[in-house]
Amino acid sequence: MSDTTTPKTQPLSPTTGEPMSAISRRAKGALWSLIVMDAAGTIALVISYAYLWGLNVNNGWAPPGASLTGAETDNNLPSTAPTGSFAVEWPFWAILGMVILATLAMWFGYKELGRGNRAGMLVGSTVALVISVVTLVAQWIQITNLPFGPDEGAYASAVILLLSSNIFNLLIVIFLLLGMVNRTRKRLITPTVSYQAKMMSYWMVWLCIAFLLGAVCTTFMVESPNLDPITFGTFTISS
Amino acid sequence: MSISEQQAPNAGDEPEAPTNRPPSMERVRSWLSRPYAKGIVGLTIVLGLLLLPVSWLVLVPMNQTGAPASEIMKDIEQTIFVFTLVSTPIVAFVLAVLLYSLFKWRRHKGDEIPAEDSPAIRTNTVGVMLWTAVTSVLAFFLVVWGLIELAQITSNAYGTISADEQPSDEKALIVNVTGQQWTWTFAYPQYDNVVTEVLYLPVDRPVYFNVTSKDVIHNFWAVELGVKIDANPGAVTQTGVTPNKVGDFNLRCAELCGMHHAYMQTEIQVVEKKDFHSMMREMGGGATT
Amino acid sequence: MSSTATVFGTEVPQPVQHGKPGGIMRRLNLVTALIGGIGLALVLGFIASRLVPSGASTSTFAPVAPDIVYLAVLVGWVVGFSVGIGAFVGPIRWLFARDLTHDDAEYLAGRGQGWHRYFKFTTDHKVVGIQYLVMTMVILGFGGLLAMLIRTELGITWAEAFSPTFYNSIIGTHGIAMIIAMILAVTGPIGNFIVPMMIGSRDMAFPRLNALSFWLLVVATIPLISTLFVGGIQDGWSVYQPLASQGTPAMLGYQMTIIVFAISTGLSSVNFLVTIVTMRAKGMTWSRTPILVYGVFAAALMGLYAFPFFQYSQILSLTDRIFDTSFFDPLQGGSVWLYQNLFWLLGHPEVYVILIPALVLLMEAMVVFLRKPLFSYKFAIAGVVGVMALSGLVWAHHMYMSGWAPAANYPFMLSTELISIPVGFLVMVLIGTLWRGRVWTRLPMMAVYAVVFNLMIGGVTGIYLSDVPADQYFHGSMFVVAHFHYMLMGAGLFGAMGGLAFYFPKLTGRLLDERTASIGFWMAFVGFQVTFLSMFVAGLQSMPRRVLQFDSQFNVSNWVSTIGAYVIGIGMLIFAGALIASWILGKPAPANPFGSKSLEWQTPTPVPLENFAVLPVVTQAPYGYGVPDPYDAELMKKDGDRVSPGAGTQ
Repeated sequence: MSDTTTPKTQPLSPTTGEPMSAISRRAKGALWSLIVMDAAGTIALVISYAYLWGLNVNNGWAPPGASLTGAETDNNLPSTAPTGSFAVEWPFWAILGMVILATLAMWFGYKELGRGNRAGMLVGSTVALVISVVTLVAQWIQITNLPFGPDEGAYASAVILLLSSNIFNLLIVIFLLLGMVNRTRKRLITPTVSYQAKMMSYWMVWLCIAFLLGAVCTTFMVESPNLDPITFGTFTISS
Repeated sequence: MSISEQQAPNAGDEPEAPTNRPPSMERVRSWLSRPYAKGIVGLTIVLGLLLLPVSWLVLVPMNQTGAPASEIMKDIEQTIFVFTLVSTPIVAFVLAVLLYSLFKWRRHKGDEIPAEDSPAIRTNTVGVMLWTAVTSVLAFFLVVWGLIELAQITSNAYGTISADEQPSDEKALIVNVTGQQWTWTFAYPQYDNVVTEVLYLPVDRPVYFNVTSKDVIHNFWAVELGVKIDANPGAVTQTGVTPNKVGDFNLRCAELCGMHHAYMQTEIQVVEKKDFHSMMREMGGGATT
Repeated sequence: MSSTATVFGTEVPQPVQHGKPGGIMRRLNLVTALIGGIGLALVLGFIASRLVPSGASTSTFAPVAPDIVYLAVLVGWVVGFSVGIGAFVGPIRWLFARDLTHDDAEYLAGRGQGWHRYFKFTTDHKVVGIQYLVMTMVILGFGGLLAMLIRTELGITWAEAFSPTFYNSIIGTHGIAMIIAMILAVTGPIGNFIVPMMIGSRDMAFPRLNALSFWLLVVATIPLISTLFVGGIQDGWSVYQPLASQGTPAMLGYQMTIIVFAISTGLSSVNFLVTIVTMRAKGMTWSRTPILVYGVFAAALMGLYAFPFFQYSQILSLTDRIFDTSFFDPLQGGSVWLYQNLFWLLGHPEVYVILIPALVLLMEAMVVFLRKPLFSYKFAIAGVVGVMALSGLVWAHHMYMSGWAPAANYPFMLSTELISIPVGFLVMVLIGTLWRGRVWTRLPMMAVYAVVFNLMIGGVTGIYLSDVPADQYFHGSMFVVAHFHYMLMGAGLFGAMGGLAFYFPKLTGRLLDERTASIGFWMAFVGFQVTFLSMFVAGLQSMPRRVLQFDSQFNVSNWVSTIGAYVIGIGMLIFAGALIASWILGKPAPANPFGSKSLEWQTPTPVPLENFAVLPVVTQAPYGYGVPDPYDAELMKKDGDRVSPGAGTQ
């Protein structure tokens, strides 16, 4: 919309001529909506994790031990008491730490941009990018070195999905951070038009929360509280 | 934005009366004196009376095969009856307005935009409050009725006892129901685990069902007895009922379970208690609890 | 930034223009998308068939190769089509800092491309609206054809016209196709085309996202249709686990459809929410916003938070199938109840996503054809907001009989009964607006009667189902099927049809042949009553749902339903025929044939690209129709006689 009373210094959108303040307001609305969407998906995974943890159907929550091979995996037999191991807990928190570092770097960059320091924004977003790539590699290492596969019970399934969701989120963040770096370089993200950097910073905070939820699940909800589930196909509990 | 209504002193009121409003009955009467008001109220009453038989009619198809055969089914039918009855006034009123609008209020046909607008009724406080009150009261009535009835039915069917904590009431019969693609089997743990493919039940004796599935989700529906519960793989669900009528009834699967879902049904035979004992004995279940 | 462009009278600095306006988008269209989609599908399918040994089987002895090959084909289709239509061009341009210039944006909006713009990645919300209209009609036709097949089978009670597996496929496919079509029926065409104009803006907040949402819908539809050729979705539209894991590879088609459709809908929701919140015209405060905007907003918000649950239920089903995870496999720790909870967390708000837009659309039409304001606009908003707020709290009423948590049945029964109150507000607004109105008997107006009638029957039968003991009889029977058809089709589809008849002149620039369309509409309406009232009887008699053969006691009700269904089919064909014929051959429509005072009708027809030459400013409440109530004048006159001279007033 053309507005002849706009002060000459107010940047305008090249495509629609509207003041960038209107564009950035819409972008922020989109950010919150996308966070709600991603949060709903993450909560779906957390609910899946927690619900299956609580139920321990047919004693199948924990990964089965190595003793279950061959005929014992015949689907008509209930699983025996598992002796397999759960995932080590510290890597979840280490990776969360890396994500937090990347977020802090991005925030640093955004704050520097607000002070007019474009170089600071470049440094911040580049550091965030590098840390995110390292995190992606670390997450990949973690997921490929789990002491179980996706086909080994409900816990394994839930953990692997949570970690896959992390990887997916990291890939998106890496793409976005590449954009941050390049666009700052090309002066499309500037101290006067900085809303995209702000959105990136908020998104990364959400990312931390998503990783945190995963880490909380895998640390505080490991052994199922249901110690005597019903054996599949029968009316009695498993011994 | 409501159109303000003029308040005016009634001829007989004291001039110092705070609002000088006409008494409420007069306002109701004056509203009723409008031709459409009489028409709609009258039409509502007529339609309501016409719709009244529906409350009985809905039960007819339900009872074609011998229902009700238990107190639970009777409760369910009574609920459906009451709910239909209670919904009738609102339905009648809405239909009355639709009909009156279609046939009595003026119409304009053709392609030309009407020259005259209709009365600008943006709101009507009395109407809105009345509607809100009536629908809320009805909703709460339905809720309370439903909650109480659910509690009653559950106490008839227990639902909270775990699979290995069977009731100590020696009079109750326990049946373990297993659904699988595409047949039902029934085991009687109190009768040496006799297994049948037809559900035999003694009349006037509470029976508790433990239900599970061997493969996919099925649904155990004893139609005329009015009980239904999913048969889930990996879990045992429970329901219960006391059949109070001798006869042959239907057991259907009410959850899509694959190719022959349509055929996954069997009979429920409710028999006299002594007949039940002899049947169990014949099938090898000598001991009784 | 070396140049400027004149945008609505202002000189605006522009980014560098790389090549011609639109860049690579000039070369991308439906044809390149199809080439990309089919090409990559074939390539990935071929690679997969080479990588997976044909004799491989899972631990449950199901063959692996068809699954992997089909999945590869689906992934190839999704990625290839998206590349071919230019879906990734936006993000890549953003990454490489090649922002759109004004000329780019104009090109993308379809400036100067004539009919070609309907087959490209076009951002103009009006084009997207028409594209959605056509897709919705295609999907409705597909679902309708399946419905005819279903009713044919159920009518032929003396034989099995189809095999059980084929029958199970067509009921599931019919269900999901219709659900998708109904989600889009109002928010797609009307939401996209009309809402931005109704709020006085030039386009949606994110025009490229809008185009993406549409093309993702196209992407999602093909896997759904393909399922019929790879064994069929034999598990109902709700594809419960663990039956789904026994299913043919077609289940992967369903999962891919939903995964993509959820993204399409989610992005669309983002667009609607942000557009409605931030782009309303100057002076259009929330108390001056038309109710259609509220309804679309509510639908978008419900879709936003709820669709991911459905999406994840399908993602987890996919991993259960391909990677042998055990989210829903009870043998290995999975729970069937988890699936049901995830599914119905969307499944219930979804029905309000379908219903609310249809009802508010009719409210918008009514006020024009009655020429009186909406009755109790505030309670209409309360109804919409109340439904939206409660919709997320009722989902487990679909699971009353599942045994997952018997104690939970009490609170869910409470919340489900309570939601009848805000729905009741909407009925009150509809009735109140009809009250004493002078009816202009055009089709959109007459549709209101059909919809309110159906809504009452659907609503009352819903009350039975919300009561747990009554549901103990009705769950899984044809009674449920009849109830939801009354709500989603009786109120939803007929409402959408009426609303489409209303906005037809603005959408297509032509006048609808209302006479023929009405014949089709009412024929379908009568057929609808016959079909589904008879279906209630079948349900009361205890006929289960999703069965192709049944006891002879259900024969008569099924024969009657089938006859009714054929009448519906003929009626719908007549209606669709009238629509298409008028679209092609109808009389050109004036800008405002119905004398509406709403902003979207103040545009010329056909609507120019920028909608408004000057953006409007709103100064009044909506629905400025109506003359003072003659009864009020009478009251004043009557009471005025009693005012003694000198007495206080008011």
